[in-house]
Amino acid sequence: MSDAPPLLEVRDLTVAFGDGNRAIRAVEGVSLTVQAGEIHALVGESGCGKSTLAYALLDVIPPPGRVIHGDVRFRGRSYGQMGKTELRTLRAAGVAMVFQAAMNSFNPVVTIGHQVEHTLEAHPRVFPSVAAGRAYFEELLQRLRLPPERIWNAFESQLSGGMKQRAAIALALLLKPAVLVLDEPTTALDVLNQRLVIDILKELHASLGVTIVFVTHDLAVVAELAQSVAVMYAGRMVEAGRVDDIFGRGRRHPYVAALLEAIPSLLDDGLQVHPIPGQVPDLAHLPTGCRFAPRCPLARQICREVEPIGQSDAWGHEVACHVVNEELLPSGGPT
Amino acid sequence: MSLLDVDGVTHRYGPETDDRPVLDAVDLHLDDRDIVAVVGESGCGKTTLGRLAVGLARPVDGQIRFDGRDVWSLRGRDRLGYRRAVQLVQQDPYASLNPGLTIENTLGDALLYHRLVTRRQLPAKLVELLADVGLDATPEFLRRFPHQLSGGQRQRVAIARAMSLQPRLVVADEATSMLDVSMRVSILDLLLSFRRERSLAYLFISHDFGVVRYFAQGGRVIVMFYGVVVEAGPTEQVIRQPRHPYTYLLLQAIPVPDPAAARRRAAVDTDARTEAPPARTGCVFSNRCPWADERCRQTAPPTIEIAPGHTTACWRPEQIPTETVTVRRGAPDVA
Repeated sequence: MSDAPPLLEVRDLTVAFGDGNRAIRAVEGVSLTVQAGEIHALVGESGCGKSTLAYALLDVIPPPGRVIHGDVRFRGRSYGQMGKTELRTLRAAGVAMVFQAAMNSFNPVVTIGHQVEHTLEAHPRVFPSVAAGRAYFEELLQRLRLPPERIWNAFESQLSGGMKQRAAIALALLLKPAVLVLDEPTTALDVLNQRLVIDILKELHASLGVTIVFVTHDLAVVAELAQSVAVMYAGRMVEAGRVDDIFGRGRRHPYVAALLEAIPSLLDDGLQVHPIPGQVPDLAHLPTGCRFAPRCPLARQICREVEPIGQSDAWGHEVACHVVNEELLPSGGPT
Repeated sequence: MSLLDVDGVTHRYGPETDDRPVLDAVDLHLDDRDIVAVVGESGCGKTTLGRLAVGLARPVDGQIRFDGRDVWSLRGRDRLGYRRAVQLVQQDPYASLNPGLTIENTLGDALLYHRLVTRRQLPAKLVELLADVGLDATPEFLRRFPHQLSGGQRQRVAIARAMSLQPRLVVADEATSMLDVSMRVSILDLLLSFRRERSLAYLFISHDFGVVRYFAQGGRVIVMFYGVVVEAGPTEQVIRQPRHPYTYLLLQAIPVPDPAAARRRAAVDTDARTEAPPARTGCVFSNRCPWADERCRQTAPPTIEIAPGHTTACWRPEQIPTETVTVRRGAPDVA
């Protein structure tokens, strides 16, 4: 073990859309550490800021969004200190992304192979020749259980949604990035393709050693794939920790508890579900205090007045909740 | 006499010479207040079956009867009555609502067309409808356009539109798959509450066995593979003791929101899932089936009743592991 900086680190990041008083903070004061070799999940519902956070990991937040506080660091180096060339290299060989609905991310009028060649020509330093790059891409396709010859010559319209999704993952891995970020990699797929993508990502993680960060709203996929989890709600991180701590019986943010109780599943108690009352707050009209308080069964007076901050227990399991964190106080208070 | 009879229905979109029909001699019967769920992967024909049930397409062979009468023989007032009595809730509330119509027009036009209300009664009726589906029951809400609503609100509007005509059968085609997890159960509960309050049957189309298990409790499920019904029976029985290999593999593929259970299941998994296309001769599933033998590849199996009300089209159902497929939560990791 060394004191080397973590592979990817988000420090107190706030991303705003719009100006001045009317700015909407899609991500507010979020910190996150991704260690090399992890599979990390970012979880939350529509509009919670999880995709914006994923975009921030590549410094590709769509305008008018911008970072107004905090920063993101790759191997200890802040994106704010990087020049254009360095950022370009970062996005190619440092952190690669598979966007949501990646099946629509190919150019429909050129073959997949042509698009791979474009990528190889734009980043000539990764492989000695385009042919070597092609050979590596075809190896990736095989790992993704796709027929290399057919994919290389295909236009995107000739592939099924599940195949396009996997071809997009192969393209993202082409330049051997240290981190692969996937935005909702399983969402538009049916059960069998979803299972295939889960199994393949596990295999790629094991065989290539690539660090994976994925965004999802599906806690079942998190349970199957992730090692670490961060749960977001209305722009804030409410809980973070190892997957077994999040799903375990110990401390748990009331929002996460409610989410887990809202999923009908094949588990033996999978029929005992309860909807979460109310709605996710509008980011333009946030409640004072805890953002989950209006829907929370445990909420007290303090929850409606003061926004809670995340506190970790001895195992690094972080929860941002006044009520849940009370139990930490007698044993010495927040760390 | 059933409410809906689908008798030996075959459907194809292309010319007769196309290899496989989308639906191949499908039988299905629904009584008043029944809930029948249709499960299968993308492209298995579930949506086509729903479209035929509501009369959006005419089957190339076989018959669809509503109240005992062939729906394609109905004329004039009878046909209008059928179109009113069978309603559809579609998957994507971003696509199923006309973006140029206010909620008032979205909901009001059908009521006026079917002469269920007069123009004078309409405003009060519309507000009542909004209240029925848990939306903000105000005249202001009626003046909104779909783009001003969240996904969950839109789906409630789509449900209000279907329920406004007092249907006897509602086809719900993946009605919750585009919604956030926390919204899903409340939409399912809303649909179920309409069934309790009115005499209403559901044809519920989904690829998610977890959702099906919750919605079709006490009802039936049919499992389709490439246009063929491979298994049908009482919901919980099919889920706990699948008697067709395809059902078994689908259930195994579904992620469960519990990491310990997920690891345990991954260890017993047979890795028999492939993307093999349907077989042209013999059993339609034989290309993918881990237990297929020579007979399966030669001769299509007949549909047999394996338990009361529980049918399977499999030569070798005894090959399927009998341990229950619903999963124990947590539990030790020891094998």
